Amino acid sequence: MAEAMELTDDGLVRRMIAGDEEAFSLLYRRRHPSIYRFALHMSGNTAIAEDVTQEVFMALVRDTKRFDPARGTLGGFLYGIARNHLRKRWEQDRRLVPLLDDEIDSPSSIENSNHYRNGTSGNGFHANGSAQANGNGNGNGHHPVPLSRDEFASLETIGRVRLAIATLPENYREVVVLCELEELSYEEAASALDCPVGTIRSRLHRARALLVEKLREAQPVRRASAVGE
Amino acid sequence: MDCAQFEEIVHDLDRAGTQGLAVRDAALIHAESCDRCAQLMTEAESLDFSLQLLGTRDVDLEAPARVEAALLQEFRRYKIESSRKSNPWRLAALGAAAAVLLAFGLLLRHELAHVHNSGSPLQTASRQAALPATASSPSGAESEQNQNEGSEYATAYVPLPGASDPATLEGGSIVRVVLSRSALLSLGLPVTDAGAGDRIRADLVLSEDGAPQAIRLVSQTDTEQ
Repeated sequence: MAEAMELTDDGLVRRMIAGDEEAFSLLYRRRHPSIYRFALHMSGNTAIAEDVTQEVFMALVRDTKRFDPARGTLGGFLYGIARNHLRKRWEQDRRLVPLLDDEIDSPSSIENSNHYRNGTSGNGFHANGSAQANGNGNGNGHHPVPLSRDEFASLETIGRVRLAIATLPENYREVVVLCELEELSYEEAASALDCPVGTIRSRLHRARALLVEKLREAQPVRRASAVGE
Repeated sequence: MDCAQFEEIVHDLDRAGTQGLAVRDAALIHAESCDRCAQLMTEAESLDFSLQLLGTRDVDLEAPARVEAALLQEFRRYKIESSRKSNPWRLAALGAAAAVLLAFGLLLRHELAHVHNSGSPLQTASRQAALPATASSPSGAESEQNQNEGSEYATAYVPLPGASDPATLEGGSIVRVVLSRSALLSLGLPVTDAGAGDRIRADLVLSEDGAPQAIRLVSQTDTEQ
């Protein structure tokens, strides 16, 4: 078991192709959290994140030979599959969910409406910034004790940042998630998103500028509500 | 550094491997003298802090155990399915290999039989020389044509004047020679005088003591048209 843990991703993939279930299990445990988090941050919905994670690894089982270590890392390959599944999911949601009147007025809200609305409808992130417990006991759900002022401020900050990220256009949101939250290098993100490093750099720059604007706009609301208390 | 340059790198000031980190000192000096850029830097630092907070908070998030269970089930199912799928291909590959081997064997057999039947011109001549009496009729001028290996034609052996009893030719040999038409005349063969200098290919049966016993004329389609 310890020997298997030391194996590289490529080694585990080779063993997996040969039918080694333990290798697949190790690979999943090693790689799925980042894929799940990526899908969760991109969709704002735990059910979608679970589905996408499952689809990504099923694709790995069925089409393992599509992964070529010479062309990039396994992480990049998996992020690429996750991204495609998320897009398919959003396309389906766009067709199935009727748009509300106020959403039609705002093009930017149409781009982000489905996954964000789902995310705030009780199956995703809570308004205070925590993710909903997801059934395996490791979610950062409800706190049983009252929060201190600092903790509350942190949660409030997290909530606002999460909301700001969720309302970014998709191509900006994915670079923020990969480079800022998952701490991928520009090169790794470029490999995952299949675009040049310069594109990642410029998108991230623009995305951060948008986030600063969004957080700046949210600031007076917070102050006003604090005064109201 | 001016404000435009500062705005370009303000989000990379703490990012390893970027130009922002390389010019961080110059950026800080600029921010000290520019309120607007100082505010931009403060906002960028606040954003960094918030993103780190969010990243740290979510670092332990992972999919529920049921996803892994479903995937392992799928993995087992796929393994069985793919092994089933690969069996017909293996059988087909084995069948194809057997067919190729059989075809090769038949071809080899055919080739060997062909070589055995035709042999070299000398071998053919030797076989025929063993029975010169039966191969040659008294009227050897009938020019019975034998096809030899598809491109060589030969008449039957004609006993030469003064030849020994055919039974004594068992130890004889065949020699491929090229003779002039006049030489054939001297051997007593019925040829015309016209073209006396023409060269004619022939197989000559020699007895053990080297005396010519019989002859046949040979024509090769690729050399003599």
